[in-house]
Amino acid sequence: MIRTLAVLLAAALVVSPAHGARNSQRRVQAFAKLPDWSGMWETASSKVITNPAGTGGPGFAKANQLWGNSNPPFKPELEAQYRAGVHDAAAAAAFANSFKGCGEGAVQLEKTFPFVMDSPMVFEVTVTPEQTLLTFDHGEIRYIYTDGRSHPQQDDLWPTPMGDSVGRWHGDTLVIDTIARTAGPFVLDSSIGLSEQAHFIERMRMIDHNTLEDQLTIEDPQRLATPWKLTFRFTRATDLDRMIPYDCEADRNPIVNGKMIIRPPEAPAQPAGAH
Amino acid sequence: MARGRLLTAGLAACALAAAGAVRAHHSGAMFDTQKLVTLTGTVRLFQWANPHCWIQLYAPALDGKMVEWSVEMGSTTELYRSGWRPHTLQAGQKISVVVHPARDGSPGAAFVSATGEDGAALGKVLKTVAQ
Repeated sequence: MIRTLAVLLAAALVVSPAHGARNSQRRVQAFAKLPDWSGMWETASSKVITNPAGTGGPGFAKANQLWGNSNPPFKPELEAQYRAGVHDAAAAAAFANSFKGCGEGAVQLEKTFPFVMDSPMVFEVTVTPEQTLLTFDHGEIRYIYTDGRSHPQQDDLWPTPMGDSVGRWHGDTLVIDTIARTAGPFVLDSSIGLSEQAHFIERMRMIDHNTLEDQLTIEDPQRLATPWKLTFRFTRATDLDRMIPYDCEADRNPIVNGKMIIRPPEAPAQPAGAH
Repeated sequence: MARGRLLTAGLAACALAAAGAVRAHHSGAMFDTQKLVTLTGTVRLFQWANPHCWIQLYAPALDGKMVEWSVEMGSTTELYRSGWRPHTLQAGQKISVVVHPARDGSPGAAFVSATGEDGAALGKVLKTVAQ
């Protein structure tokens, strides 16, 4: 019995193609043809807020193209609704006092594409022959498959916040095609959402050693009169040596009666003046 | 997501810009970024956490009464990039913190900078990752 098991185990090890497998010469050659985008990159808005110690400064809103005064080319029947929204100052002020990116009551835009490309975050790029991964410091991941596949068939596809992305390398430019993004808001200054028919095309390339550029075109015949073209530029983050897991478990900024407050820490406080 | 919340976000950009201190996690509208106040006191707790790190500091309120301040900082990644570490502050440590105070007068504030008793800026000298 034992001899039989030993023989079966040995046979399994011999025939298992994955055991001890190395990258094929073909895959190694495919790697060698790819541009090296490895490292940490930060969005324009991240660059503003990270100086110093997370305190922001003037210019933050200007760094974001999807945050305010975004002016998407809405269809005429939606344009008036958009304009009415952006001119409601009182409502805007109330919103500014209640906006948060995660935690209870949070606007979830930060976890959706394309907003994630314009949020104040750092992301790491991993380029392989089969896929390119954009891993954001708040936990979001974009999977961009570059193995020649098409989008899934209709029956196998459903909307997700990041959508379904496939890419093709055109020289050193990654052309990304994204569909099936969950219908809903895509800019911070309007509740008018994209439809599930929205189609996104990106051309991502390295401008220089410290700059990645992403030219994004959004098409949505149900919402937009014309394709909307945006360009994001990302800067290499040279002061970060690893991705640090992020969560919202210690969120101390609940929204109470429409207003953000500061909640005391859970640890019991000693009487003031105890020290 | 509350539809009304986004619908009312029309001038959010203007409000956000006016707020000045805007964080990765939320706007800084609750803080008066036109004011800079220096709090000198004793650390009760340094909370190294996300979405924000916090300094709980015993220091005089604006009226002089001793209170516990909640000083809001950036995320762990943002602080790490700025040279801070989980043990940069210890309970009982005397520090001075420059903050933007909360608009409502409560002992809450947004962090701007900090120095130790010796007057040296807190946080390590930033290192540069070789590329």
